[in-house]
Amino acid sequence: MIRIYRRFWQINWAEQWQYRANLLMYLAYWVVSPVVYLAVWSAVANAQGNVQGLTANDFVTYYMTLLIVDVLTSDITLHILAYKIQDGTLSGELLRPVHPILTGTLVNNLAFKALTFAALIPIWIVIYLLMRPDFSEVTAQSVLLTAPAILLGFGISFFMNSTLTSIAFWTTRVYGINEFFYVLSVLFSGQFVPLTLMPPVIQQIAQFLPFQLTRYFPTMLVLNRLTPEQVVQNYALAVFWLIALGVIFFIVWRAGVKRFSAVGA
Amino acid sequence: MHYLKIFSTLVKINVEQELAYRADTVINISQLIIWTAWDLLALSIIFTNTASLGGWGAGELVALLGVFRLVNALMAALIWPNTERFNTAMRDGTLDYTLLLPAPALLLVSFTRIAIWRVVDFVIAITLIVIGVTMSAGGLTVAGVLSFALLLSSGMVIFYSLWIAMLAFTFWFIKFDNNVTILQALLEAGRYPATVYPPWLRMIVTFIVPIALATTVPVQALRGELQWWQVLMFLGVAVVVVAVSLRIWRAGLRKYSGASA
Repeated sequence: MIRIYRRFWQINWAEQWQYRANLLMYLAYWVVSPVVYLAVWSAVANAQGNVQGLTANDFVTYYMTLLIVDVLTSDITLHILAYKIQDGTLSGELLRPVHPILTGTLVNNLAFKALTFAALIPIWIVIYLLMRPDFSEVTAQSVLLTAPAILLGFGISFFMNSTLTSIAFWTTRVYGINEFFYVLSVLFSGQFVPLTLMPPVIQQIAQFLPFQLTRYFPTMLVLNRLTPEQVVQNYALAVFWLIALGVIFFIVWRAGVKRFSAVGA
Repeated sequence: MHYLKIFSTLVKINVEQELAYRADTVINISQLIIWTAWDLLALSIIFTNTASLGGWGAGELVALLGVFRLVNALMAALIWPNTERFNTAMRDGTLDYTLLLPAPALLLVSFTRIAIWRVVDFVIAITLIVIGVTMSAGGLTVAGVLSFALLLSSGMVIFYSLWIAMLAFTFWFIKFDNNVTILQALLEAGRYPATVYPPWLRMIVTFIVPIALATTVPVQALRGELQWWQVLMFLGVAVVVVAVSLRIWRAGLRKYSGASA
């Protein structure tokens, strides 16, 4: 099994490495929004001392941590797989004796992540030098405590996006549906502002949804800004969503593959 | 007149194409409305936490959002679809046929594809601008509104010229098919007044990729922050950018030798 994954890694790493220039461009997308929010909110906090108790430094550390968490937990399954379902090239992968999503797609995600992360580091250091934030909230303990949350967060977005991608078995409008989910993620994941600044209704809903587990929870956890009860609650919620989304994915995928009759085959 | 006729023919073709995919158009428009709702919610979140952003009030930010959406609509309606087409034509050599036609290459390259449904985007953008201007009606002057309109159009022209320059660079670097991604990525910074950004970010969006010239600067004029000579200076910058881009474009065209040659 390990040999299979190692071979998949070699293929996918080589494939991603080929597109490293494109990757820098994706990264530009990835970085600009958080940096803009960082600038806006630290300007507001600087002008009036704090925003609901958050200082300018709190905002800078929040968005800078979010940049890293976002790369680590996000998932590109839709871009890897949806077109294969639509143009029928998935049939080749279905013939293999391994699950296409749990091997090739997963490993491709990880290769993309490794490369993006490597490219993010120098940019992140430049931002650090420009902003000079105080990261003393972060401790060795909090980093260790966050590591499993990152894994869970990636697992959650992986299964959520894989399920969304599987909808391509039924409709060609899968990108539209994905855009709708993106709106939900913008609302509930804490990527625009720390969730405590969102309207109360949104906060109420957000705390039960999986979106905040992929961004807000790991970010706040590593910054030591959660109470022990919140940490336990969110970990429990993360395990629940991971299992739930995993089960949903397998059901949808199964039904989809049954329906699948490759185009042109 | 001749150009106008070509242009209106191109528009007609694109309308017909759009009508073939009505369901997609409906979905696209509803997504646009959802995003607009989110943009406004985002602004209201900012303004429940502060009375002003770098001295700008809520109305001015709504106007700025409108201006941003206008540039973004230009990007989505014209720049993306035509760039995609241009990059393919560059790689497989079909650009030859475009260049052989008895019409200016620039007109054909930049206006052949138009995402017509984005008209809705323009309407929303203009509405936001009008609402924003009315909300901030406090210190409006005729001169302010006039220079706003002038700078807004010159900002759009600057953005268009930058795009043409980016396309022209593709003549030298064939694999440069990310030519507009960087414009789009940095455009996000146009949502908020560049004056609140830290100096390094302000430098990038003012001088390196001058997004701020198309977004922040017109609204600054509206606020009456600019002197008359500054307005003239920004208009001058637009003229220079247009001239330089056209030169790069022509030089690029001369460099082009077809795909198989």
